[in-house]
Amino acid sequence: MAASTPLLKDELDIVIPTIRNLDFLEMWRPFFQPYHLIIVQDGDPSKTIKVPDGFDYELYNRNDINKILGPKANCISFKDSACRCFGYMVSKKKYIFTIDDDCFVAKDPSGKEINALAQHIKNLLCPSTPFFFNTLYDPFREGTDFVRGYPFSLREGVPTAVSHGLWLNIPDYDAPTQLVKPRERNTRYVDAVMTIPKGTLFPMCGMNLAFDRELIGPAMYFGLMGDGQPIGRYDDMWAGWCIKVICDHLGLGVKTGLPYIWHSKASNPFVNLKKEYKGIYWQEELIPFFQSVTLPKDCTTVQKCYVELSKQVKAKLGKVDDYFNKLADAMVTWIDAWDELNPSGASAKLPNGAAK
Amino acid sequence: MSQVIIQDDEVDIVIGAIQSDLTSFMEAWRPMFSRFHLIIVQDPDLNGELKIPGGFNLNLYTKSDMDKVVGSSSSTISFSGYSCRYFGYLMSRKKYIISIDDDCIPAKDSKGELVDAVAQHITNLTTPATPFFFNTLYDPFCKGTDFVRGYPFSLRNGVECGLSCGLWLNLADYDAPTQALKPNARNSRYVDAVLTVPSRTMLPLSGINIAFNNELVGPALLPAFRLTKEGKFRWETVEDIWTGMCAKVVCDHLKLGVKSGLPYVWRQERGSAVESLKKEWEGVQLMEEVVPFFQSVRLSEAAVTAEDCVAEIAASVKEQLGRSNPMFARAAETMVEWIKLWKQVRSQ
Repeated sequence: MAASTPLLKDELDIVIPTIRNLDFLEMWRPFFQPYHLIIVQDGDPSKTIKVPDGFDYELYNRNDINKILGPKANCISFKDSACRCFGYMVSKKKYIFTIDDDCFVAKDPSGKEINALAQHIKNLLCPSTPFFFNTLYDPFREGTDFVRGYPFSLREGVPTAVSHGLWLNIPDYDAPTQLVKPRERNTRYVDAVMTIPKGTLFPMCGMNLAFDRELIGPAMYFGLMGDGQPIGRYDDMWAGWCIKVICDHLGLGVKTGLPYIWHSKASNPFVNLKKEYKGIYWQEELIPFFQSVTLPKDCTTVQKCYVELSKQVKAKLGKVDDYFNKLADAMVTWIDAWDELNPSGASAKLPNGAAK
Repeated sequence: MSQVIIQDDEVDIVIGAIQSDLTSFMEAWRPMFSRFHLIIVQDPDLNGELKIPGGFNLNLYTKSDMDKVVGSSSSTISFSGYSCRYFGYLMSRKKYIISIDDDCIPAKDSKGELVDAVAQHITNLTTPATPFFFNTLYDPFCKGTDFVRGYPFSLRNGVECGLSCGLWLNLADYDAPTQALKPNARNSRYVDAVLTVPSRTMLPLSGINIAFNNELVGPALLPAFRLTKEGKFRWETVEDIWTGMCAKVVCDHLKLGVKSGLPYVWRQERGSAVESLKKEWEGVQLMEEVVPFFQSVRLSEAAVTAEDCVAEIAASVKEQLGRSNPMFARAAETMVEWIKLWKQVRSQ
C-alpha cells in the first residue's frame, strides 16, 4: 500500500531544535532523507553541530536568528527548545513536522518500525471531526467509519491543522509525576487517531508534532522560555492552548494519537521542577482563561486571531504576573516577524535544494 | 492508585431478549456473568418461552410483568424490541447496571485473551472520569499511565463516572447505509484505551454494550424515541442514540463523566443492512435535527438530579423539536411519563 514516492516531499520541512548532535537522524534516515531539514541550534553558537551526510538542510544558530530578526529576535527563546518555532517562521513549505533529538523510531506491536512522518502526513491530509465524537475514532482511517447516529451532514469533516503524536517508553510527564513515578514507562500502544472535540483543551507536546503551516502556522509561537525567563517546559503547552482556541474559532481540526515515537531520554526531574514550578501555579489561571476566550467574528485569519488573543492575554493575565505582559508583547512581535518573513502573495513553494 | 472494591451484589446485568434461544449467548458469557445477578427481559413481541441455561442467579420479566407494573397508566411507553431492557433498568435496585445485546459474545484482546467486559465496565464506572481537559494518554487512572505534563493539577481528582460505553469487534455499530455500502467491512482494530468524552461534546452512544451508575443517572436511560417502522435490528432503531444523548446532557450538567472505549464485545452477524435500508432510513434523517438540538440544550441550575434534568430536556424537546415533527412531541411525552413511572416504582 505504501507509495514508493514519499508524500509531500517538496511540501514539508522537518524542524529540529538541538544543542547536542544529530546522531539520531541515522535511525530516521529511511524516513527523513527525502525531506528538507531546518535545524535550529540552541545554546552556544560557536559550537558546530554535525549533521549526518546525505541530508539536505539549513541550520540556524543564535547569531543567525539575531541577524535575520534584528530587534524582533527577542521573541525567540534562548536556551530552551522553544527556539524551534524560529524554524516554523523561516520555512517556506506548507507542512511542518517537528521532532526532538532524543526521539527514536518506535516499533508497533507487530515489531514493524513506525514511519511517524508518514502517519502525520496521513493525519493532516484527511479531515477532522471536531463537532461530534466518533466512538470508533478517526472515521477516515482504513478499516473504520462513522458509527450509527453520526449525522451525515457532519461526515465531510473539516481541514486538519495539527497532528499530535505520542511517545512510547519515557512518557511526557511533569516533574512532580516524574519524581513520584521515576520508573513508569509507557508501554501501551493505542492504535487510534482521534479529533480533539471543539471546545476542549489539551496539553500539546512539541516532541512529535506536525501541522499545516498555511492553516495555523502563525499561531505556533512557542513563547518566552529559558534564559532570562521565569518559566520553562510550558512552550508547547502555551502554543497548544493558543492553537486550539484558534482552530475551534476557525473551524479547523486537531488530531491526537498515532504516530508513536520512542522517547529515549528522561530529563532530570529536579531541573524540570525548577523550570515548571511557576507554570504549575499559573496553569490554574491559564486554563480558565483559555476555556473562556472568545474571538470576535471579524477575526478571520490566524494572525488576526493571534493578535486579538495577545490583547486578551495582556488584559486578563497581566495581573497574574508581569511575565504575561512581556509574553503578550512577544506574541505581537512574533506576528510582525512572521508577516515580514512570509509576505502574503509571495510564492511559498520552493522545491528542495533549489538554489536561490 | 487505590483499588475500588465493589460488592458483586451492587451490580445487575440486564439483558433484553430479542431472540428466544439465549443458550449460546449465556454460555459464552457464563465465566463473566455467573458471579452477578441477572435481569432478563423478554421482548413483549416475542412469543413463547425463552430458553435460558441453568446455573445463573436471575430474574425473568415478561410482558405480563410489564402490564402489571405499567398497566394502562401509559399509552406512550413501549418496551417493544430493544426497549425491553429499560423495563429491567426500571426494576433494578442495584447501583451499577451493565447491558449487552443478546447477539454479542465476549471478544478477544490483541493477546488473544477473552475480554471480561463486565469487569472492565465496573472498572470504568468506579474510577474517576476527566471531562474538563483532554489527557493525551487517555484514561489517567489506568495502570501504567497518568496525567501528562500540562494537565492542571486542580482537575486531577476527576469526577464520578456516570456512563461507560464499550465498543464492538466484527460487526461494528454502523448505520444501514454505511454497512450496505461496505458489506464486508468488519472491525478488527482493538484500540487499547478508555477515555473520557469531554464535557459538552456529544456522541452517538450505542446501547449495544453499555454500563451506567443507576443511582446517579438511572432515570436518564429511558425508552422514548421510537421510529415509525422501528424493527428488531439495531440498523432499524435510533432509540439508544436518543437516550445516549439525553444521558450525556444529564452527565454534563451534573458534572459526571462519560467514558468510551474498552471493553470490546464480539458482535455477531445478524440481519441484512440492505434489507434494513430498504425498509426505512428515517432514523438517519432525523439525526440531522436531533444532534444540533442536544448540542445546544442547556439545563437550569435548579436541575440537581437526573429526574430533574430529564424533565427539563423533555420540556425543551417539546418546545423546540415538537413543533416540527409529532415524533418528537411523542418522545417528550414519553420522557415525562417515564419519570412519573420511575418515581412511582421507586416509592414502592
